[in-house]
Amino acid sequence: MTSFTLIEKIIRNRTDSSDSEIYPNNIVWIDLDLVTARDYAGPQVIDLFQKNYTGSKTFNNEKIIFTPDCYPYGNDPKHAKDQEKIRVFAKEHGIKVTDLGSGIGSHLLFRRGFSKPGDIAIGADSHYNILGALGILGQGAGDVMLAFALKTGKSWIKIPETVKVILKGDYEWPTTAKDLALYVLKELHEYGITGKAVEFYGEIIDKLSIEERVTLCSLITEASGVIGFVPADKITTDYYSENGIEIEMLSADEDARYVSELVLDIQNLGQYIACPPHPHNVKKIEEVIGIPINSIVIGSCTNGSSADIHDAAKILKGHKINPNVRFGVVPATREDFVSINLNGDMAIILESGGNFFGAGCSTCAKGQYGLTGGETAVTLTTGNRNTQGKIGPADVYLASPVVAAATAIEGKIAAPKEVVKR
Amino acid sequence: MNKETIKAKAKLVMVDDIDTDQIFHQSLLTIHDPNEIKPHIFGNLEGYKSFGKENNVGKILLVGKNFGKGSTRQQAVTGFLAHGIKAIIGVSFGPIYYSNSVNSGLLLVEVPGISEFNVKEDDDLEIDITQSLIINQNNGETIKCAKIPQPVLDIMKAGGLLKLGEIM
Repeated sequence: MTSFTLIEKIIRNRTDSSDSEIYPNNIVWIDLDLVTARDYAGPQVIDLFQKNYTGSKTFNNEKIIFTPDCYPYGNDPKHAKDQEKIRVFAKEHGIKVTDLGSGIGSHLLFRRGFSKPGDIAIGADSHYNILGALGILGQGAGDVMLAFALKTGKSWIKIPETVKVILKGDYEWPTTAKDLALYVLKELHEYGITGKAVEFYGEIIDKLSIEERVTLCSLITEASGVIGFVPADKITTDYYSENGIEIEMLSADEDARYVSELVLDIQNLGQYIACPPHPHNVKKIEEVIGIPINSIVIGSCTNGSSADIHDAAKILKGHKINPNVRFGVVPATREDFVSINLNGDMAIILESGGNFFGAGCSTCAKGQYGLTGGETAVTLTTGNRNTQGKIGPADVYLASPVVAAATAIEGKIAAPKEVVKR
Repeated sequence: MNKETIKAKAKLVMVDDIDTDQIFHQSLLTIHDPNEIKPHIFGNLEGYKSFGKENNVGKILLVGKNFGKGSTRQQAVTGFLAHGIKAIIGVSFGPIYYSNSVNSGLLLVEVPGISEFNVKEDDDLEIDITQSLIINQNNGETIKCAKIPQPVLDIMKAGGLLKLGEIM
């Protein structure tokens, strides 16, 4: 009997192709469980759909969601019009919209149970592969593919080879999942995973919450990988059962064929930071301590959850943010916003001098909260992109919420001085 | 493309790592009309700058490895369709270029061992899709190509992904 990796298994369950067609680098048709689009690219997808399929219905309006999350509250006339186009089309076709302020589409997919392990979901978001943290095959797609998918419910995929990555060891606070993700990015970028999938294993995985797993998987895009999976387990099952959803724990076959196996030693892992001009330019924090920072954003699909904001609040409690620093928090979803309101984190951050913006994406794509104007505004974000010019003309660093909070107090890159117990 | 073979003359551009800026320079990104894109193709590739003004209608383009690496720009595909190029044979293609091409109906064929294939400009080539073979009819040489996946054939037959969507 043939054996399959996790991605091969997911694809196998969603294709008419025979088992003999399921092998790395082959291309097969797949049936999609969910097609989404947001305010970036969504309007272009609608234009293509209407131009090419005039008068047609979508393949299944219940398997489509529009998730405007890029340009909160239509912060210029063009984006406001684009968002309106989405609402009008959605109403006409009976499609659900998670409108402005609901949060980042990819997060809503698991938080609200729209997508579950073993599913295939596509959207115009290059970080849709964060869904691999829940064993969902999430993929970013272009306008043409999405317009085709709206009509047919299908897409094609080149089956990637899979690298088995074993994380060996454990780490302690204030090292967090972001430090792990940055370290793994650095190692995988050097190792080379272009066009490949990754499956994560190791005892540490049993200790990571869903939010921490999302953080870990969110930087695979930055290593040019297709997706990083944490196969669904008890933590995933418990997460979904809170929403009353039963899931199947799909896993790779024991004798699945991996292209290679990599063991990464994470015992006593320190804290890491991505330096300009690439996310993979990851250094130990000790190498950059003291660099002045004057714009800090906590948010993004990498680190915008209530757990991430809580990490920052613990450090900020009883401190004032340095007057040279502008500090913004963009919760990933409305649910995260509610959580930090109920647990008091929001008040702690406001009292320390921080600001809050509507739930959604933050700094990673162009045009959102966190934009800086000039050459002097050096930014540190908890996001996943530090490409020059994305946020402003000056340098951008990527780090954990803990490092972001410590840096906010000092006004320069800092590791937390006091170790706050969890 | 409702047939098992494609026959056409060869046009050689056997350079490795041709990126999308060499195919269609970023300074021209505001151009979207295929006929206006056409004369600029390879306008930034040393030795091939006249390509845009040549007549290569109906030919098969032969390139090296990692063709089309770089940006997502669609013009780097549209330009070859405007030239009437039937297919591009190369060692390998940039992943985004591959999907942009397939979705637009431009056939890409991967031949890992192309450097060992004896072919001259304007030789008569045949791509045998069923047997995954490239045949040079002028010297009788053949070389194996990677199997062209079914979705790619379905999309080529329809004339592009959006066209295929009309009948699905």
